[in-house]
Amino acid sequence: MLTRGTLIYIAQRLALIVFTLIAVSFLVFVTVHSLPGDAFESERVHGKALQLLLHEYGLDRPILVQYWSFLTNAVQGNLGVSFQIRGLPITPLVTRELSVSAELGGTALLITIGVGTTFGVLAALRQNTWVDYTLTSIAVVGYSVPSFVLAGLGVLIFSYWLPTITNGVISYPAIWTGTYGTLVELSLPAIILGFYTSGQVTRITRAAMLEVLQQDYVRTARAKGLKSRVVTVRHALRNALIPLISILGPLVISIITGSVIIENIFGIPGLGKRFVESILSADYNITVAVFTVYALLIGIANLIVDLLYTVVDPRIRY
Amino acid sequence: MAVVTTPIFEEYAGGTIAREQVGLWRDGFRRLRRNRLALAALVYLSILLLIAIIAIFWTPYNPATILPNTLTYLPPSGQHILGTDELGRDLLSRMMQGAQISLIVGVGTSAIVLTVGVVVGLIAGYFRGWVDTVISVFINIFYGIPGILVAIVLYLVLGRGLANIMIAISATAWMDMARLVRGQAFSIREREYIEAAKASGAKSGKILFGHILPNALGPIIVQATFVIPIAILTEAFLSYLGLGIPSPLASWGSIASEGYAALPLEPYMMLWPAVALSLTLLAFNFFGDGLRDAFDPRQRR
Repeated sequence: MLTRGTLIYIAQRLALIVFTLIAVSFLVFVTVHSLPGDAFESERVHGKALQLLLHEYGLDRPILVQYWSFLTNAVQGNLGVSFQIRGLPITPLVTRELSVSAELGGTALLITIGVGTTFGVLAALRQNTWVDYTLTSIAVVGYSVPSFVLAGLGVLIFSYWLPTITNGVISYPAIWTGTYGTLVELSLPAIILGFYTSGQVTRITRAAMLEVLQQDYVRTARAKGLKSRVVTVRHALRNALIPLISILGPLVISIITGSVIIENIFGIPGLGKRFVESILSADYNITVAVFTVYALLIGIANLIVDLLYTVVDPRIRY
Repeated sequence: MAVVTTPIFEEYAGGTIAREQVGLWRDGFRRLRRNRLALAALVYLSILLLIAIIAIFWTPYNPATILPNTLTYLPPSGQHILGTDELGRDLLSRMMQGAQISLIVGVGTSAIVLTVGVVVGLIAGYFRGWVDTVISVFINIFYGIPGILVAIVLYLVLGRGLANIMIAISATAWMDMARLVRGQAFSIREREYIEAAKASGAKSGKILFGHILPNALGPIIVQATFVIPIAILTEAFLSYLGLGIPSPLASWGSIASEGYAALPLEPYMMLWPAVALSLTLLAFNFFGDGLRDAFDPRQRR
């Protein structure tokens, strides 16, 4: 599978990722640094003291010089220091929060693919029956109802109503306690985060399955006397997966976008929560760092998706 | 219109081509009328629009005023139909203003996206070459970053306000429209009537906006409809995070956020914006699906 062409393709894509990262981080860096006010405004530092503080953080240099030092440090894995919690290095902070976000997002992605493809296949196999209508309705609700609405509903049921009804046997903590949370704490945010994207997956899988099931080779496989389960999984689903893979990239972006909201609602100490906090407290080094990490994640995710094509569909070569 | 023409003549007569287009639109509306779900959505959206218009002139109370001698977190009653919020403001009035804001942001953003997407897409698709390459790279960079982050940062730079939030959201939603128009322009510019227009000496602007754009209008309108719920959702997200519409103004997102904080005290406060937002987004999605099935049969899924 790893032919010379594939390797060249990977190298090209990596170069594009690097270019995008530089472009994105530069734009965000210049943008947030051009904002009025500074990170030390809330501390009421004035005059000479402020000048010293700005000098200490290198904020009195020209913007391009500042960006260049950010870039050279970032390449070496140093994303700078926080302004709010003075001098706190950002890299360990972001790494830890990335792992928390990855835990949440990864679980949501698994739920999305598992539930979405199952629903999509079932709906296609039972087209125009009540199964189909129920599953597609759930899918439409999934991508129409905002996640914070579902979150509110979930917390209301599992944290307030059920504990009262069952006298505290079933109770769900509305806010995460530890860094990584418990499996119970993870379940509700992950399901809500995955619900939106599984609606999209259901829709795509259903459409792709319906098209594939009409193909000649599926009829041939059936005529050969293969079991319907074998036909569905090996002949139909495998080919229906190709359009699904094409939306995996946008799915990852959807999950990242959703996690920004979900993390803030459930108090999950991940990247999304940090991003909003850094914006609200004008801690712009963190804003730039998180933005860059997100862009890197999406670039890598898209690359993996493109390589997955060649695994699922051997006709595609790079 | 009942002019009998020979088939050969029909290919050359501008009048007959125009008549065929009228047929397409009429056909589309007929198909839309048969779609019950889309019609129900349209009825809901009309009522919502009516409420938003009424809210310009009249709300039961001033949505921004903290009412004197009014308790906070009042449950629904005859005096306050939807109850009161954490400062003792009337929730019905605030929900009405929220409907106004949602519709303005939704339609306004869609209009900006339509304009930017059409211009950028037409230029990329028609001129091709390096212009197209540059625009495509830009589109791909924007696809590579989560939209809500772009919206947050841009909104901060522009400063808070209704117009700025629409611009910020547009920056995250224009790519689909640009790509769609680009693709349409790509295929339409190869048609014979474009060649004919060029041969008769039409300028680029005339060809772009007089020939290519009208022929791509169906999918463009459908796409513009789908931008509305995305914009409403993004505005609600931003307001929920406290990064949206500035404070005395009511947005469904900010009401939901205040309601979430008060969930154990007063579940109603979360319920109203939750129901309103969900219904509105569902309605726009159903209506958009109906429009697509009616006017853009090729994309039917």
